[in-house]
Amino acid sequence: MGIVEIRRLCKDYPAFQLQDVSFDIEKGRITGFIGRNGAGKTTTIKSILNLVHPDSGEILFFGKPLRDHETEAKQRIGYSTGTVNWYPRKKLREIVGVVKEFYDTWDENAYRKYLDYFGLDEGKTPREMSEGMKVKCNLLLALSHRAEVLILDEPTSGLDPFSRDELLDIFLRLKNEGVAVFFSTHIISDIEKCADDIVYISGGQIVAAMPKDGFVAHYSQPGETLEQTFLRLERGAINA
Amino acid sequence: MRSILMKEMRLSASPLSFLFIPFGLMFFLPGYPILCGVFFVTLGIFQSYQNAREANDMVFSALLPIAKRDVVKGKYLFTCVIELCGILLMTVATVLRMTVLSDAAVYRGNALMNANLFALGMAFVGFGLFNLIFVGGFFKTAYKFGRPFVGYIITVFLLIGIAEALHHVPGLSILNAFGTEHFAVQLLFLGVGLVIYLAATFLSYRKACANFEKIDL
Repeated sequence: MGIVEIRRLCKDYPAFQLQDVSFDIEKGRITGFIGRNGAGKTTTIKSILNLVHPDSGEILFFGKPLRDHETEAKQRIGYSTGTVNWYPRKKLREIVGVVKEFYDTWDENAYRKYLDYFGLDEGKTPREMSEGMKVKCNLLLALSHRAEVLILDEPTSGLDPFSRDELLDIFLRLKNEGVAVFFSTHIISDIEKCADDIVYISGGQIVAAMPKDGFVAHYSQPGETLEQTFLRLERGAINA
Repeated sequence: MRSILMKEMRLSASPLSFLFIPFGLMFFLPGYPILCGVFFVTLGIFQSYQNAREANDMVFSALLPIAKRDVVKGKYLFTCVIELCGILLMTVATVLRMTVLSDAAVYRGNALMNANLFALGMAFVGFGLFNLIFVGGFFKTAYKFGRPFVGYIITVFLLIGIAEALHHVPGLSILNAFGTEHFAVQLLFLGVGLVIYLAATFLSYRKACANFEKIDL
């Protein structure tokens, strides 16, 4: 049983359907959520965060339905929905000052530690920050309230290779502290570097949700890299 | 509740929401439609909704560890706090015009509406219309505010026009009472205005919660 369980999620849009999406996010593991643009990654993540209402299906956090335990679940998770600008003209200090009042588990020492670790300046506004710094800001908020699960929508998109590498190292460090990290990406090397599990979505359907080793054993052909496997699968040979 | 109101004040609010509160003192103006003070106070509140949309405030708030209905509650709380600050200033002006200034020639010779309890009641109705039409309309989508605001402007100026004209209708001069004349009836008008404000706000809030719950952000 996962720390987060997604069960048979369905959502109909006029030009797109999310169909029977089911998978688990495990404690102390990094799960890479992969799929091409428009495959349904963001819709799935928004459903997990209760920003989008699925037509059917169920999401359980820590064994309890999100529907009935939304506040409690959100206290224990951290999130980053891309590199959206929250309050672009407010200083990080002001944003944090407000946000921390919402969390019972806010840890000022952890906040100071990660602020220093990420090299962030509290006096800067989001509009003055690079894309990488904005992602780090979201991570900073998540980690300062001791989030047990991080749900991140394409946190590495828009980052330079150095920042990306740095971020993936942070994921590994968090994993060792027992945090479950779930991140979507369309950059295969991110998955190769740090994911323990792979959830692969294509055309609104989950193709595979399994440990990375199992995925390679099941889908990859001899001598094929993970990237080549995904490209082949996406080109229409999913059942090959 | 305190946290979400603080979030509204410190992150989402436009400074204009606070700076426009003194328009409540328009209740002192002779020869001017004093209920326009209601419109200017709400114009200031409108700026905060615009600010909030530009700052992705709705998604940010929905991701906080609160229920989605609390996001709606925060917006209504903030709106009502600003409105009640405006009402407070209008009340101060009204009380002064009903007491120490009740015989001032500049007010006695005023062809427009007098600042009295009826006017205060109408101010409550004006704010109620803002909550019902604009705030409620905004929460149908959580991002479109043009149409609800235009709808509110038309309605509130109709209200102002009617309120200004009524006391000229034969038999309704009681609406324009000076000092403590017809105090009981005036108090009744204030009470009715307050009840309309509370009912409009409550109905709008309930509907907004239901709408916001269904919106995909």
